[in-house]
Amino acid sequence: MRKLKKLATIALTAVMAASLLTGCGGSSSSGSDDSTGSGSSSSSSSESSSTLKFGCLNYSESLDPANMINAAWANSRYGIGECLFKFNDDMTVEETLCDSYEVSDDHITWTLHIREGVKFSNGNDVTPSAVQACWEVLYANEEGSSTPTKYMDYESMEADDEAMTLTITLKEAQADLTMNLAYPVFVVLDVSVDDLDLDDNPIGTGPYAITSYSPNESVSLAANEYYWNGEVPYDNVEITFIDDSSTKAMALQSGDVNLVENVTTASDLEALESDDNYTVSIAQGVRCGFAYINQDGILADDTLRHAIMKALDDETMCEITVGGMYTEGYSVLPSGLDYGYDELTDVDAYDTDAAIALLDDAGYVDTDGDGIREINGENISLNYITYDSRCLTDFAAAIQTTLSDIGIGVTVNTLDADSEWNQMVAGEYDLCSSNWTTVGNGDPTEYLANWYSKSDANYCNYANDEFDAAYEVLLTGFDEDERTEAIKTMQQILIDDAAVVVHGYYNSSMIADSTVTGANIHTADYYWLTTEIAPAE
Amino acid sequence: MQGFVTFIKKNKQFTVFAILAILVILVAVLAPVIAPQDPYASELKNALQAPSSEHWFGTDKLGRDIFSRVIYGARTSLTSALLLVVIIFVLGTLLGILAGYFGGWVDMVIMRISDMMVSFPGMVLAIAVAGILGASTKNAVIAIAAVSWTKYARLARSLVLKIRHKDYVYAAVVTGSKTGYILYKYMLPNVMTTLIVTAATDIGSMMLELAGLSFLGFGAQAPTAEWGLMLNEGRAYMQYAPWMMLYPGLAILIVVVVFNLLGDSLRDVLDVRDE
Repeated sequence: MRKLKKLATIALTAVMAASLLTGCGGSSSSGSDDSTGSGSSSSSSSESSSTLKFGCLNYSESLDPANMINAAWANSRYGIGECLFKFNDDMTVEETLCDSYEVSDDHITWTLHIREGVKFSNGNDVTPSAVQACWEVLYANEEGSSTPTKYMDYESMEADDEAMTLTITLKEAQADLTMNLAYPVFVVLDVSVDDLDLDDNPIGTGPYAITSYSPNESVSLAANEYYWNGEVPYDNVEITFIDDSSTKAMALQSGDVNLVENVTTASDLEALESDDNYTVSIAQGVRCGFAYINQDGILADDTLRHAIMKALDDETMCEITVGGMYTEGYSVLPSGLDYGYDELTDVDAYDTDAAIALLDDAGYVDTDGDGIREINGENISLNYITYDSRCLTDFAAAIQTTLSDIGIGVTVNTLDADSEWNQMVAGEYDLCSSNWTTVGNGDPTEYLANWYSKSDANYCNYANDEFDAAYEVLLTGFDEDERTEAIKTMQQILIDDAAVVVHGYYNSSMIADSTVTGANIHTADYYWLTTEIAPAE
Repeated sequence: MQGFVTFIKKNKQFTVFAILAILVILVAVLAPVIAPQDPYASELKNALQAPSSEHWFGTDKLGRDIFSRVIYGARTSLTSALLLVVIIFVLGTLLGILAGYFGGWVDMVIMRISDMMVSFPGMVLAIAVAGILGASTKNAVIAIAAVSWTKYARLARSLVLKIRHKDYVYAAVVTGSKTGYILYKYMLPNVMTTLIVTAATDIGSMMLELAGLSFLGFGAQAPTAEWGLMLNEGRAYMQYAPWMMLYPGLAILIVVVVFNLLGDSLRDVLDVRDE
């Protein structure tokens, strides 16, 4: 009996030891998997070779383009939906779902031919009437931040499914409607399905289709088997929303994701760039980082504004302070766009001595010895409001310290984005950080309204008759050369008037590990998951 | 002199920490002499340089000398922490003595307010106060003072209650001593020792709370040289420019440890029960 017990004990111990060892074996083998995958993180590739894990910032709690403009962008960014046209990297427009179009001489009637054979991801055909139905839903629910009317104000829309044409009659002539139709708010979705749920499950024509969506957490996508424009490289895409930039970089390094967009911490980006396991694509986007100058205040003073411009070293700020996240520049429109940047003259190039001389000559000197110059006996103290996005606070800090060196006092107030906006609208600032998409719909008209004296969007109290005259050419003129010339004139006027502190042009980035190829960031910020992004061989 | 030497011999630990604390205070006072560079002078081109003979602790993202900023940070951190401790010490003690001595509705009102303050998590209330008043060192001090005085009030009150009904207090009342005189001559000396020890140990923790608020953006504002704020500025560069966090962090650690141990040894010196 005792022997039996002993035997049983030994047997039990052996079994336990064995099971423990198996446990160890299991974990150690998975551990070694991890270690071979570390850095390049190919752990997923063994299970399902064509699942892409993408980490990105979430901008929208819904996917309904009528609801929020960010939702429209999300449709385009995740590869779910497409527009009739798309922007190329030089911001010209290329035909996609529309393969040709005609426009009447008065630019009122636009006849768009819809590409034949294109299907939605549920197999339904994309017909002119389907496009019309989609847009009618969009216009019927126009509320919140989606403002399709701003881009296309139409009198009537007529679909001819036989001829495959959609004829749009506008209320007012437009120079180029195709650019506006390339704007993601006009994403084409199937609204004919019974259980239409644009919030959570929009059905589009893009390379990927939604399988599940949890707002603020993740999106699961599968390849669209009906995709019209070539092969879809991944069977599945898992999108995880990651808000913090450093977390995004770490998720990539740990192999939790294979691809991330816009790592905005310069140090993290630098580390990824220097590591051979990652490919970093950086493109000068169409965003301009700048600070509004409130001309209803101390900065109405021309000398002071010009002195400030001369004192700021944009090159160092862009390259060192924000680690190359911006490309330096002096005009409100990015140097990469075709609006004559090279022909502009920077009247206030960086020159600290000239800045000091300007202030001294104007009699703005420090008489009470506190290190701050005075105007009419009052210290020059600027109220600089900023918010923590796209390195804007770094610029504010650098400008604060640079200006204090030449005797201009600056108080930096870091607010949240909404408070900053409200304070800007209320005019309670001298300098106000901003980062704007300059040519969101392929044209800077909307953006340049910031300095048009008759515009609601002019929050900086800037007024210049010549600028206004040139701006009005944009509102009415169709001639491309004339428009470009007007835009160039406006840029030069803003430079001459020292009307805005331009930091530079924001560089977008897309970073992939070694399992992914073709991950490029595009100039227009609407295209993230494209068919160019494919598994590496 | 003889007495001084005996005191030092008897309280070696206290002496050591007192000297260290004096050193810290000297660093703050003599910051302009010690710091090799202007803590606010930035050289944008020299950003994020590693520690070297020119910049002992390296430079931050605006190219400012971190060593100089850490030295100047002692001024901000020490003055605000000491000021804070003085405020809560005076306010708390005064209210506590009044509550304990007079009792009745005075006690009720003061102690219920103090209960209210205690029922909030200190840091969260401090964040709320700083959020409402706006972010600045002054408001951070006010915010923390608002939640920290209660400890002193409760302590003072209980110590006063212990002697309130002693015969000698009644004797003083009967012989016609003025209330103010009784409070000053009988009550205050009885609570002082314990409260001073509490205050000394509090310097360190108050410094931590202030640095915490600054780290979260509710205290000192850029470009002030303040350790908590410097830690926050270095946060994004933790992996690549660790010196930006390391030295302000070390400064906080050293100063907090010195003042905590000073408080501990002060208790040993003042506490009569040990003798």
